[in-house]
Amino acid sequence: MPSPLSDTDRQINSAAAMDNSFMLPLRPPVDKRDHKDTLPVRIAQINTQRGSFRNVTEQSLQAEIDCQKEKGDVSDDEGGETKPTEVDATEHLELLYKRRAEIMQSAVQAHMEATFALDFLSLLLSKHVPRQADLSMSAQLKQAIPHGSLNAEVVKARQSSESAKQDTSAVSRGWKLESFNAAANKLLKSAKRLENEVSAETKYWIEVLRVKEKGWKVCRLPKERQALGVQFGFLEATPVFRDRGLASLRRVDDGSLILDRGIAPARPRVLRVRVKKDGLITGCSELSRFMAGNGNSIEDRILQARDTLFEDELFHELSREARIMGNMGVRTRQNLIEFEFGKGEEVMFDMVDLDEIFTQVDSDTRSYGHGVTANAVAYGIRILLMYAHRQNLRRRKQTPPPLSPKKRPLPEYLLLRPVAAYLQHNFHVRSLDSFLGEVYQILRSAGLECGYTTGTFSSIKFAPKSDTASTTECLVEGFLAPLESSFSGTIVTTASTFSVKIRTNLSPPSPGTEYEFSINLPDFPHTQPPSRMGLKDEVETFIIHLITLNLTSSISTITSQKSRAPSDGSSLTAPRPSRKLLEWEAPFANYGELLAVSRISGRTKKLSISLSRDELTIRTKWKSAYSEPSKPITGRRPEPQPLSYTWKSTDESGKKLKLSDVVLEASKDSR
Amino acid sequence: MHELLLFASVPGQQHHELLQQLTGLTAAQPTHRLERHLVFKAYRRPGSVNTRIGGSQDLQAPEIQRLTKMLNGAMFYTQVVGPVTEKDFGSVPLSQFTARSTVNDKRPAEGDQGNWYDFEDQRWRLEFRDIPEPGARTTVTTRLMANATLPRGDVLTPMNAWGYSFVTEYIMEGDVFIHNDIVLFLYRVLTFPADSHDPQPPRQTLPALREMIPLDRSGGYVLQAVVIVTDGSNPEIMKLASQRLLGLKEQLKSAVKLEQADRLSLDTRVK
Repeated sequence: MPSPLSDTDRQINSAAAMDNSFMLPLRPPVDKRDHKDTLPVRIAQINTQRGSFRNVTEQSLQAEIDCQKEKGDVSDDEGGETKPTEVDATEHLELLYKRRAEIMQSAVQAHMEATFALDFLSLLLSKHVPRQADLSMSAQLKQAIPHGSLNAEVVKARQSSESAKQDTSAVSRGWKLESFNAAANKLLKSAKRLENEVSAETKYWIEVLRVKEKGWKVCRLPKERQALGVQFGFLEATPVFRDRGLASLRRVDDGSLILDRGIAPARPRVLRVRVKKDGLITGCSELSRFMAGNGNSIEDRILQARDTLFEDELFHELSREARIMGNMGVRTRQNLIEFEFGKGEEVMFDMVDLDEIFTQVDSDTRSYGHGVTANAVAYGIRILLMYAHRQNLRRRKQTPPPLSPKKRPLPEYLLLRPVAAYLQHNFHVRSLDSFLGEVYQILRSAGLECGYTTGTFSSIKFAPKSDTASTTECLVEGFLAPLESSFSGTIVTTASTFSVKIRTNLSPPSPGTEYEFSINLPDFPHTQPPSRMGLKDEVETFIIHLITLNLTSSISTITSQKSRAPSDGSSLTAPRPSRKLLEWEAPFANYGELLAVSRISGRTKKLSISLSRDELTIRTKWKSAYSEPSKPITGRRPEPQPLSYTWKSTDESGKKLKLSDVVLEASKDSR
Repeated sequence: MHELLLFASVPGQQHHELLQQLTGLTAAQPTHRLERHLVFKAYRRPGSVNTRIGGSQDLQAPEIQRLTKMLNGAMFYTQVVGPVTEKDFGSVPLSQFTARSTVNDKRPAEGDQGNWYDFEDQRWRLEFRDIPEPGARTTVTTRLMANATLPRGDVLTPMNAWGYSFVTEYIMEGDVFIHNDIVLFLYRVLTFPADSHDPQPPRQTLPALREMIPLDRSGGYVLQAVVIVTDGSNPEIMKLASQRLLGLKEQLKSAVKLEQADRLSLDTRVK
């Protein structure tokens, strides 16, 4: 048997290469026979193997050798091919069961044979030492066969011939050698297997240790006690996500570590925030910041698993919260949450596959005007989720309420509400700020001394309040309380002031933004602001109204002051002292109208003020002295041209006439 | 309300290890707790509630019946518990502190570093515990309990008015862990050192913490696991609570042996 011998030799060599410190000879020493087979023996062998010598030619032998060689190659190839073919899991299982059944069968057989042997010996012995034999005898045997019914006698062996003896010893020697060889092969094979196993285990444990040294919590899996797992999830997350934060560390055949996350999707998914304005996407959050790199090391895998889990939880919690916010205009679809925060501006949240999104070209994103907003929202919701986790820990550490049949509700986290409130508040504050800015620009260009101050987000204080909460928590808490901003300013006369507080609540009883005015108009003590205003347009109208009211009163004071001090001719168009000025009165101050009666003609002159965020216009018009102004009065002088003057918000202050000058011009009394 | 309890005694050497094990189990750091326990004893029966027995028209609601039975039954020891901090130990009373600081032109402001203990501002909680329920129905100790908040400061006057006299006081020191619905309290009892202090009224000041003498001189601790249930008559919830406790017992089996306490050792009745 040349081929197995060479195989085993190879094994020995490889074993020696692996461990050359100590070698135990496992194979039986094969002593080379000194004497060669005698020729007659050879001839007899050839005769039995090949028949007559005549059939044995060189060609036939060569052909036979080649044939054998080929066969050997083929079998070698086959052996090489079958090895890498992968058996799939079910086949593997079947094979496993079959092998197991075989082992069981062999074991049963062995047990049976051993029992028979024991019974046999016991029965045999029961004649001589019945007591002892009785102990080892099986019950069936005891029932079936009486004790001592088997006897053994020493029989003299038949004398065999010398040649037969030699044969027997040669055969037994051959069998022995064979068995020793087989045993040695098996031992060496298992040694090799063990060696591989040990190196694989070493590699596995080194990697596990490396994971542990990085600070990950490595523990036993609760459901599979013999497997190791790594905890990467968040302990304070909702139980579903908390339990998913554990993955087993499995060893593949070569000993390298793989992270087995069970049924969790392997592809990283990220929550994407987009801002849409008038149907166009104008901003998208950066996605790669929230996902660990796509490396192949185990650390990267764990980080990626953690990030994916966090993103999943984030979206889950957002959806949960969005469901209760349906009445506030939050819409949810299968994989999308969206709400409107300003005029035509929407925020959209969805989960995207990171791999897919990198291959996609951002074709739908036209401009990046809201990139910062999208990023800020993306960061904001993540910070808020972490804050919710901290609150969970805090709640968990408090003494629990008594057990009761009622299940404790799991409140929705504050994620969308603060974000929505902030965006909404910001929108209102900015719009009011720009509105006031434009209106005050008009007033200043008309030469009026007035101004306003802003206190945006005055409710948020960054100083830590208590010792127990950390700075971060205090920072976040500021955004969870109702947001408040305030504006205050003087109107036209410095004595008249107004202040408005904008408040945005994120939760019931009154979610949304409301404006609270307090005004101080000495000329109109009975004018009071409405208690609660929610609409931006309403507020703007109200401010316009306030300023108009104040303008009417200030105009009436301009002329009265002038007529009381006629010598004061500072302005260019100052009236000559000989001519009297009209005295303006405001019977309809609410409409921005002033009336004056000419002392010369007795006619009435009307001055109307119209103010908008774009311009301020003053018009004057003579009205007929009689109550029929519509009828043209014949025989009179033609009407003087009605005066009209406009200041626009784009005007620079100082370039235009002052309001007082225009009023004085308009107040000239004429016939 | 009812509470279900299991106890284990923990040798001093095991204390640190058990703290760590419990921290791992609950996945949260413990809260250190220091409490003053004033023991009061009832000396007269509470005013009897009018129980008109006889006459089927006047059947009482079961709660009233239970209350009546409780009030007119045995008299009990109750405890008044006040949370204190480590800073309160070995500090001077507020009166002395202010007296001293006025000399130095200093006032005890909020968050002042000075150590002072204001007995008049001490918060109190009245704790009533019934004798554990008899019978080996479950393998946990079950007893009726009730807590009530008392006004701050001097607690002796109202308690006397309610028919309780002050017996003694001690300090409980330990760490609290929360494991789902179970409160784990690993504590030891500290007694006051024998000094010249009059033992009758509760102390106005507390001696330094290191001067306190542990009741168990060997330095042992007690681990107490409690679940409180709102309705002790609801068998489902009681079963759930005791299952939780027994689950914890099984979980902690290799660390400590939690078991039911002897009923009579927790007897709070006045004899």
